Amino acid sequence: MSDSKGKASQKVTLASNDGSHIEVDRVVAERSMLIKNLIEDLGDDAIATAPIPIPNVNDPVLRKVVEWCDHHRGDSLQSNEEENDNRKKTTDIEEWDQKFMQVDQEMLFEIILAANFLDIKALLDVGCKTVANMIKGKSPEEIRKTFNITNDFTPEEEEQIRRENEWAEDR
Amino acid sequence: MAPGATMMQPMPLQPVRDDIDNTWEYLQTGITKIMMNLQDGVDMRTYMGIYTAVHNFCTSQKAIGFSASSNISSGGHRGAHLLGEDLYKKLTEYLTEHLRGLVAESKAHTDEALLAFYIREWHRYTDAAKYIHHLFRYLNRHWVKREMDEGKKSIYDVYTLHLVRWRDVLFAQVSIKVMEAVLKLVEKQRNGETIEYNQIKQVVESFVSLGLDEGDSSKTTLDVYRFHFEKPFLEATKGFYKNESKQFVAENSVVEYMKKAEARLDEEAERVKIYLHPDIAVSLKKACDQVLIADHSNILRDEFQVLLDNDREEDMARMYSLLLRIPDGLDPLRSKFEAHVRNAGLAAVAKVASDADKLEPKVYVDALLEIHTQYQGLVKRAFKEEPEFTRSLDNACREFVNRNEVCKSGSNKSPELLAKYTDILLRKSSTGVEDRELENTLTQIMTVFKYIEDKDVFQKFYSRMLARRLVHSNSSSDDAETSMISKLKEACGFEYTNKLQRMFQDMQISKDLNTGFKEHVQSLGVKGLDSSYSILGTGFWPLTPPGTTFNPPEDIMADYERFSRYYRNKHEGRKLTWLWQLCKGEVKANYIKNAKMPYTFQVSIYQMAILLLFNDKDKITYDEIASTTQLNTDSLDPSLSILVKAKVLTVSPDGEKVGPGATFTLNYDFKNKKFRVNLNVGMKSETKQEEAETNKTIEEDRKLLLQSAIVRIMKARKRMKHQQLVSETINQIRGRFVPKVGDIKKCIEILLDKEYLERLDDDDLGYLA
Repeated sequence: MSDSKGKASQKVTLASNDGSHIEVDRVVAERSMLIKNLIEDLGDDAIATAPIPIPNVNDPVLRKVVEWCDHHRGDSLQSNEEENDNRKKTTDIEEWDQKFMQVDQEMLFEIILAANFLDIKALLDVGCKTVANMIKGKSPEEIRKTFNITNDFTPEEEEQIRRENEWAEDR
Repeated sequence: MAPGATMMQPMPLQPVRDDIDNTWEYLQTGITKIMMNLQDGVDMRTYMGIYTAVHNFCTSQKAIGFSASSNISSGGHRGAHLLGEDLYKKLTEYLTEHLRGLVAESKAHTDEALLAFYIREWHRYTDAAKYIHHLFRYLNRHWVKREMDEGKKSIYDVYTLHLVRWRDVLFAQVSIKVMEAVLKLVEKQRNGETIEYNQIKQVVESFVSLGLDEGDSSKTTLDVYRFHFEKPFLEATKGFYKNESKQFVAENSVVEYMKKAEARLDEEAERVKIYLHPDIAVSLKKACDQVLIADHSNILRDEFQVLLDNDREEDMARMYSLLLRIPDGLDPLRSKFEAHVRNAGLAAVAKVASDADKLEPKVYVDALLEIHTQYQGLVKRAFKEEPEFTRSLDNACREFVNRNEVCKSGSNKSPELLAKYTDILLRKSSTGVEDRELENTLTQIMTVFKYIEDKDVFQKFYSRMLARRLVHSNSSSDDAETSMISKLKEACGFEYTNKLQRMFQDMQISKDLNTGFKEHVQSLGVKGLDSSYSILGTGFWPLTPPGTTFNPPEDIMADYERFSRYYRNKHEGRKLTWLWQLCKGEVKANYIKNAKMPYTFQVSIYQMAILLLFNDKDKITYDEIASTTQLNTDSLDPSLSILVKAKVLTVSPDGEKVGPGATFTLNYDFKNKKFRVNLNVGMKSETKQEEAETNKTIEEDRKLLLQSAIVRIMKARKRMKHQQLVSETINQIRGRFVPKVGDIKKCIEILLDKEYLERLDDDDLGYLA
């Protein structure tokens, strides 16, 4: 094992599914639990000699994800459970992340999927909160419009769902 | 399918994401590689491939029936149905199959080979489990998490699933055989062979890892380990040592056995440290203590007397540390020890007590001390100064100090002899004792004093002898006296030494008074005798007025009266009683022929009065002396006898006893080697009488002490049961002497008569102010 100093300056190359290579600091890559475990399991030598293939993520998305990871490189990795819970309950998003998430919808969902695949919990949370904020306070029709969803419910089905969820309505 | 059959297959292409069979086929190839050939390494592509296949399968939307769409906004995850159950099942089946194969393989091995096999497969399996756990992380994060959150039992994260399968499939089948192999190996080691104990250590670790808490998978319990390892291990240990110790005891001495047991116990403790789980330490110790010590405690204890008799200190220490380990192991030892010390003390006293009357105090006290020192040393070195043994020692010492051969002639003998020894030590003597040595001896005196029950008797004798030392100013040093008194004060409290301290004060005050008196005499311009006076407070000094009338000789009358006047002026209303029997002086004998230098006689004042009569005459009859001095025969006869014996006076007719009819003549031919002759020597009968007197007053004083204690208690409590009062009184008085219940009852009667107390109903007593 290399010591922590060596580890900090170590580089890792990530290969997107469309063939581009992105070199990042190891600590940045290790925001992804998948990559962290991989390095742990396969060893330092494996990553030094070959890029890590990221089969489910394309170049633009991967770059975006790396950008986020780089910004958050100093965050504590294992925030404790209680803090996690608190973070979950609020839809507050810190300013940098809000700006970061100002992308088109397609990209937003790609980021979420990539975070899910790469196992970057904090990024996944930020993505989901962004989506949640887009939904908050909107009527079903507005939501459909926002996300470009075609209403495939019959009026009966819709009525039934409304009844079932009545308790959650704002009064 | 036997694991390993597919092990060298290259990884196929990524499977169709929503097809379980296709996906599993892909995964199985990879898992088998990891399970069987992890040492060859896994390439990054395979690693990523497996992870992605798991991810893709779990995120496929087949189960709900929507067509696969890259647009997540179509809301495919409605109902939050998570995929993964199929994968989980397939993995479980795979592991079960793999483990069944191992069970079959294990049948080919026994003993150490089986251990090696078990450990090898365990490591291979758990190493793979860590990998697979990571690779199936997506399943863990979503499907497993959801199942567990919903409270489903027997769904575990992937790593734990591995352990559970191991436990249920393989461990259930082979653990007994593995344990047998472990126990065989341990037995080999106990028989002196060198073994590969790391194997056992690893088996222990494996057993401990299998202790899964069914309620909470993040926790582990030691249940599996305790049941499958500890239990058989302890049983085997017991069996082994039961046999070994039985045989060893039959063939060897008890002392040898103790060494063996000690070595075995150390060995087992060491074993825990080297390769067992610390959890077993306590129960293993208990098991060993039981079979190695408790089961043989009787023969050990029987040996104790032999060891005591032969002073086998080291072996006793060994026995102590062995029996200390078992509950109530030491009690029988303590009672044996106590009896032994008591007997040793009694024997030591009996040896020196052939003639109790002539017994030297020093010899007696030394005999007591020797036994105490010897066994205190034993308690310290062999019994680690354990408080209970110290108590047994104290009990034994108290017994032989207070009830021994010497005490038969008089129950007060022990305190009396101790006080006398102290007196000898503190008196001025020709054989100078080093200060430090004296201090040490006084400390030893206190050791014996601690055991004396009748401390009041000691106090009586001590104060009497202290008085004598002070009055005759032949105390060896003030420092030693002070040190002794402070020791007594420390042991018995202020009250005990109060009078002793007052005696010292009186001596100091007298010194100042004498200085004042001398100045007074000088100022008068008269020439008096060179005299000094001690004023002793009646209440503090154990002294009685003279038992005889006395007419002081003319020569000292002037001084006697001058001092009396001086004192009366100084302290009006105080009554002076002259203790003539304690007065002494010196006279110079100028009459003796052939003396180069006049002799000086040190004499009592009675002797002085007699001798001064010979200034006028050379020959005086007994009756004349008696009538002039006014001394009664009890005081006169001994005084005269000494003068006759020393040949200062000759008696006629020749050989006549001192008494009426005898005539005394001054001996002009007196001769002595020394120029100062001490004629003031106490008579044996005098001291004897004193002792008798002292003893007589003790009983009286005890009654008073009891009564004052009773009154003190009642004054505080106001109302008390008779029985309670008696025991409370015993408690209070025990520091001084051991009171008899009968005496206390008598004292209560006396106090009732004197109306200090009254009888109330219900056996209660009340205090009357």
